[in-house]
Amino acid sequence: MSEVIVITSGKGGVGKTTTTANVGTGLAQEGKKVVLIDTDIGLRNLDVVMGLENRIVYNLVDVVEGNCRMKQALIKDKRYPNLSLLPSAQTRDKSAVSPEQMVKLIDELKEEFDYILLDCPAGIEQGFKNAIAGADRALVVTTPEVSAIRDADRIIGLLGANEVKRTELIVNRLRMDMVKRGDMMNINDVTDILAIDLIGAIPDDEQIVISTNQGEPLVGSDCLAGKAFANICHRILGEEVPFLDLEIKSSVWGKLKEIFKKN
Amino acid sequence: MPRPVILKSNKYGINLIMDRDMDFEELLACIKERFQESENFFRNAKMAISFEGRRLTQEEEFRIVDTITSNTSVNIICILDNDVLREELVRQKIEQFEEEQAGKTGEFYRGTLRSGQVLDCESSVIVLGDVNPGAKIISKGSIVVLGALKGTAYAGANGNELAFVAALEMDPIQIKIGEIIARSSDNKPAAGKRRLRKAKVTIEPQVAIVKEGNIYIEPITKGLLNNI
Repeated sequence: MSEVIVITSGKGGVGKTTTTANVGTGLAQEGKKVVLIDTDIGLRNLDVVMGLENRIVYNLVDVVEGNCRMKQALIKDKRYPNLSLLPSAQTRDKSAVSPEQMVKLIDELKEEFDYILLDCPAGIEQGFKNAIAGADRALVVTTPEVSAIRDADRIIGLLGANEVKRTELIVNRLRMDMVKRGDMMNINDVTDILAIDLIGAIPDDEQIVISTNQGEPLVGSDCLAGKAFANICHRILGEEVPFLDLEIKSSVWGKLKEIFKKN
Repeated sequence: MPRPVILKSNKYGINLIMDRDMDFEELLACIKERFQESENFFRNAKMAISFEGRRLTQEEEFRIVDTITSNTSVNIICILDNDVLREELVRQKIEQFEEEQAGKTGEFYRGTLRSGQVLDCESSVIVLGDVNPGAKIISKGSIVVLGALKGTAYAGANGNELAFVAALEMDPIQIKIGEIIARSSDNKPAAGKRRLRKAKVTIEPQVAIVKEGNIYIEPITKGLLNNI
């Protein structure tokens, strides 16, 4: 039974594409057959984050318009053969595809893949409507900031109105040092307002910037963000995983270094 | 000589403009003729009919409708009243009824109102859930939120300044009662800063009412409720 998951947020820049790339790669690491679809027509970047931009020949719009077969457009990932990417078009815009066409496309992919992940563009217009058309489940990504939460709330309302059956929350770019100082909301503040189940909390990590630039998702690696993404994948697969303790614990040595630095 | 019977179609059906002085039986014959002439046009139509130009008794009205339905394939669903005065009276009664309703009864709404959602009610409304920032409730009566009110509430939407807004957690962006608007203060503590303060800020149920032309937000006490 394939599962179709859309990763959306409303607000731009909160980490949808990064999350799609990492969660997709993580599920592939667990042996599942995964396809990632970039539905941001005109401003594609899932291919860049996956490091596959030089392998693109055909894209989503070509498939929908019948210029090529699905197999010709799908790109196999560099590291995991059970992970594929259906890239978006860079020279068209979001009116090139309709929700009905998306549903048809997803139905075709359901026969071959266990998980279909849709990277939704920012906003609530045609791009969003296209992305949620075939989805059973949604992961709403937000950062612990008022503006992002406001937009996430709107999106959750729209997802409910469009009868997407399961919605879960990912809080991204948490900075525990700021939370401790009281300058940033903590996870409970966010879930209090948004009132949906939390499926993952990802700390702000420098490694993500590096991994994005190099085109290699960092899920499963040793850093905190990598572990957090891996935990999300396990939870999607149905396992119960306790949430990571995101505080950066300084060792005694580290504390001494701090004292000397101040002087 | 002007035609004794003129058929004019409008949004709802047909307006029958009749000659005032003609003998009723002759008029009936004319009506039958007009409708039969236009049989092709009206074939199987369902319409409402209204009468103009002549005072008719109820029996006469029924006879006309009968003539039309038995001689053509037209289906007359109802007779519309053209009496302007009566319309006005009815409208007034309805509005009065609505206003009373707004004061005495209320509707429940289950669930949280999310950003971008608008709940527009004729009567008072009780929300069993939160009202998130960006959501709006509009009511001709009062508003009670059994949860956190963090969005916009507009009570007394028909100008009624006796309406009130109550919430278990009163933290609205804007409240409007009747024509008076109040907004939340600009000096909000930064989100999250609350955690640091040792003294717990107790959240108590509060109600917003209009006093002397301004909106006051006060904790709900027995005395206050009696005075609303």
